[in-house]
Amino acid sequence: MKKILPIAFLGAAALIFPVSVKTIFLDTPIENQMGTVQKIFYFHVPLAWIMMLLAVVCGVAAGIQLRRDSKRAEAVSIAAAELVLVTGLGVLITGPIWGHATWGKAWTWDARQVSTGLLWLIFAAYVLVRHYGAAGSERLAAALAIFGAIDVPVIYYAVKIWKTTHPSNDVAGSLPASMWAALWPALIALLLTSMALLLIRVQQELTDVTLDEAWVDLDDAGATKPNPAPGPTPATGDA
Amino acid sequence: MSVAIAGPVGAPVTRSDRVTTLLGMVALRQAWLLAVNDLRQEARDLELILTSSFFSLVVLIMLGMSFSALGVSSQPLAVPGMLWLSVAFVGALTLGRIFTREREFDTLRALLVAPVERVSIYLAKAFVTLVILLGCSLITVLGLTLLFPAAQPFAQRPMATAALVLMGCTAYAGVGTLFAAGLASSSGKNVLLSVILYPLTMPSLLFALVATRSLLEGHESFTTYLGQLAATNVLAFVVGAWLFEPVLVGVPQKRRGTARAARRRR
Repeated sequence: MKKILPIAFLGAAALIFPVSVKTIFLDTPIENQMGTVQKIFYFHVPLAWIMMLLAVVCGVAAGIQLRRDSKRAEAVSIAAAELVLVTGLGVLITGPIWGHATWGKAWTWDARQVSTGLLWLIFAAYVLVRHYGAAGSERLAAALAIFGAIDVPVIYYAVKIWKTTHPSNDVAGSLPASMWAALWPALIALLLTSMALLLIRVQQELTDVTLDEAWVDLDDAGATKPNPAPGPTPATGDA
Repeated sequence: MSVAIAGPVGAPVTRSDRVTTLLGMVALRQAWLLAVNDLRQEARDLELILTSSFFSLVVLIMLGMSFSALGVSSQPLAVPGMLWLSVAFVGALTLGRIFTREREFDTLRALLVAPVERVSIYLAKAFVTLVILLGCSLITVLGLTLLFPAAQPFAQRPMATAALVLMGCTAYAGVGTLFAAGLASSSGKNVLLSVILYPLTMPSLLFALVATRSLLEGHESFTTYLGQLAATNVLAFVVGAWLFEPVLVGVPQKRRGTARAARRRR
């Protein structure tokens, strides 16, 4: 099941993705004001939602890791953080492309852009601490992930609290049915891909921990085994 | 020492209320004693105060040299950045050293096994960091006022400036102390402190930055930004206090070989 589920997710995503691309570029009408560049919306928005979801998953898993020392939670936290980096990179690339075409400026330092950039930086710091931190730094990384998860509501409410150039959160609700028909397949395909990658990375991390434990067990067994006493030198033929 | 507890008028004070209030007061008293002890030790050798103040002065001179040609109209845009970048640099230096004494003399372990609330250790260290940051900010603010004409509102509105600097440094100290403690207890590399510290303190520094700009330009939005900065401070301290014990001590570990084996692989 552990191996089948990611493959099934990836297979389903591989089937849905071409349908999604066809719907976006051929079936959905071109938006009046923004033109063809609006098509990037169907990739930018799902990636942003998945990034926020994964950041929350990472924060919750990190909280469980801190409270219970659960290696499964730790593995989920690591995998989700790495995927936040990947999806966040997608958001931070597609967003400025769209912004450049519609606002005339790729980066306006608006509150939602800054809070999203901040989320990406926090999870980049998380990955750096996990890779280069000494023993015990996994607790520091977990605390970082919790701060990262706290940033998610800030991203969501940024357009309500501060004056921003970003569209409001109500835009998704007011989309016509034809746009939703293109958004759903893109969201499902990207979500399935992310879940498959998450499961694969979790499994890799758990295998890594098991290998580490086996290594230490082997090492301890070697350390406790008494060294063989130096025996008599083997006799040579001349003696 | 006897402590009188008064409940709200008409409301019965339950035993658990009394215990909670007493625990809170005990934690605060312990935090105060620990902070006084740290400040007393600091007053004896002046290590942190002198190094951080000198560093602030050096950063100020570098900023003065770099931006001396800036026109008066552009200065209100640049001065807030100079102030808070200086605080960020000095803060990283201070936080890198704040647990060094405990680490060098192995007193952190003694502090952890002593009958002291963990949150008291956090509050005490954050307070000492805040005191040193405020001292360094004083140097920076005075220097900027002397070097840049656009920074005159700092001198004209001293109470507003004091509130702004206090709020900005508090959030920095709140978040920074948590991670400095974590690095001290995990025998971590101090280079990671900057990696962690800057992304996490960025929101409070951003609020402080826009609040400073509105102070220099005389906008009414100054108090709004100050309020948002205060909210960030509360969040930083609540999350910092909540996470301090798990980050510093962790939970009783099952037998795990991760870190040890990972070290060997490298």
